[in-house]
Amino acid sequence: MALASVVIAGGGMAGFTAAKSLRAKGFAGKLTIVDPEGIPYDRPPLSKDYLLGHRDAEQIQLIDAGWFADQDIEVIESKVVDLDPEAPAVTLADGTVLHADKVVLATGGTARRLPIPGGQLPTVLELRTKQDADHLRQVLQPGIRLAIIGAGLIGAEVASSALSFGASVTLIDPVDPPLVPAVGEVLARRLHQMHVANGVKLVTGIPTEISVDASGQHAITLADGSSILADVVLVGIGIVADTALAAASGLDTDNGILVDESQRTSHPNVYAIGDTARTRLSDGTLLRRAEHWEHAMNTGETVAAALLEAQLPTHGASWFWSDRHGVHVEGVGSMLGDGTLVTRELDGIPVAAFRVTDEGLLAGCAAIDGGLLVRAARRIIDKNKPVNVEQLADPTIDLKKLAR
Amino acid sequence: MINPINIGSIDDIDEGEAKVIPSDETGTGEDIAVFHAEDGNFYALNDNCTHETASLADGWIEGTEVECPIHAAKFCLKKGTALCMPATQDARTHKVEVSGNDLLLYPNVPAEPVEA
Repeated sequence: MALASVVIAGGGMAGFTAAKSLRAKGFAGKLTIVDPEGIPYDRPPLSKDYLLGHRDAEQIQLIDAGWFADQDIEVIESKVVDLDPEAPAVTLADGTVLHADKVVLATGGTARRLPIPGGQLPTVLELRTKQDADHLRQVLQPGIRLAIIGAGLIGAEVASSALSFGASVTLIDPVDPPLVPAVGEVLARRLHQMHVANGVKLVTGIPTEISVDASGQHAITLADGSSILADVVLVGIGIVADTALAAASGLDTDNGILVDESQRTSHPNVYAIGDTARTRLSDGTLLRRAEHWEHAMNTGETVAAALLEAQLPTHGASWFWSDRHGVHVEGVGSMLGDGTLVTRELDGIPVAAFRVTDEGLLAGCAAIDGGLLVRAARRIIDKNKPVNVEQLADPTIDLKKLAR
Repeated sequence: MINPINIGSIDDIDEGEAKVIPSDETGTGEDIAVFHAEDGNFYALNDNCTHETASLADGWIEGTEVECPIHAAKFCLKKGTALCMPATQDARTHKVEVSGNDLLLYPNVPAEPVEA
């Protein structure tokens, strides 16, 4: 029987893309998105333009609110609290039961809390939702002491944004420099130094306890015994996949809802996409769970094809970006693993890094303000084109020509 | 009748490249990017990506599409259609004509419908 109805739990990038792709591929049945935050919006601006107030809530919506009515997609502002894969059906927070032929779980995750004393304090902030960003914007007053634990993408971006509020920022990370797996050692060091150059205080250490006194002052104790005082503490150490719903209804989970290459879970009526999904290959191999924007989009497209029994799209090397201190960082593929690391410098400053396998293939590339170079690298990776280490290191060589 | 702007020779823009015509020349209040697509033809779109601030002329031109250099949104050079996220709004097209060796840009005149 043809597919007549789909319920998507979660309206982030993944859930939204699934709905959009289903309609684009001609699905005319009943389509519902359930999300506690209502109309889908884009999360990357939460640490940048939205936090800074350069774009408002309407401007970070993934699409105009009217589009959903035009496309006959119902957006229900609620949370799915129960899943019955067999029916299949979902129960909403108010007790409403929605039946559908297929259910797509796009529930994302929650910000990871520090597993240390004080890690659960309500005054220790996180940044995952629009509401989190609104709260952070409110407390970022001139002169405020902000301590950020975790100098990955969100931590680094908020550090950069917070400077323009006149905050005094301390960025704490256990490793120096962070982001080596994403961009390689050389670029990671340049990026980390940019914090210092812009007035952020860097601290390398492992937080062991956070406390807050009656005046609202926080003390972060580090493993070496030192402590950092702050008015506001933000933790950005990744997310925990939201697997509770899936696990409670008997689906296979393991640090993510396990899915096959068509995004189907262990129950044929239920699919999972985006941050919460983790691919298990047919031989049982578990892939690393991806938490990137593009992965959310890609899996949304894949699930739409799978639900309509169309050919699954192929997606190339993974890609991410980050913006901080006025520079645009991008990475594609993987900088982690065997092979040779190549750095491209311009006037003595590292601008791009590559990882080349022993077989002479490009496996990963990252660049600072080098969007076009990364686009070229991505095509070289996806086409398995052999590369020459000297050419990659030479700033006069246009990578675009090598990608053709 | 809107008069076209002569924006130079067809040899000024290599295939797979683009050139920005600044807003003070286009008279539309917007910079316009003129692309030499891989089908050999010339197309023009508003230069600024419809998603955030980025110059599409700095983007990756492949076939008859351009990919934004910042967040990888793709646009059809012929029709301006936004082809993937994060862009949801189409880019505005402008008519480009080749006259002998010269490129003529008609700001604010939509590109004529092209057979897909």
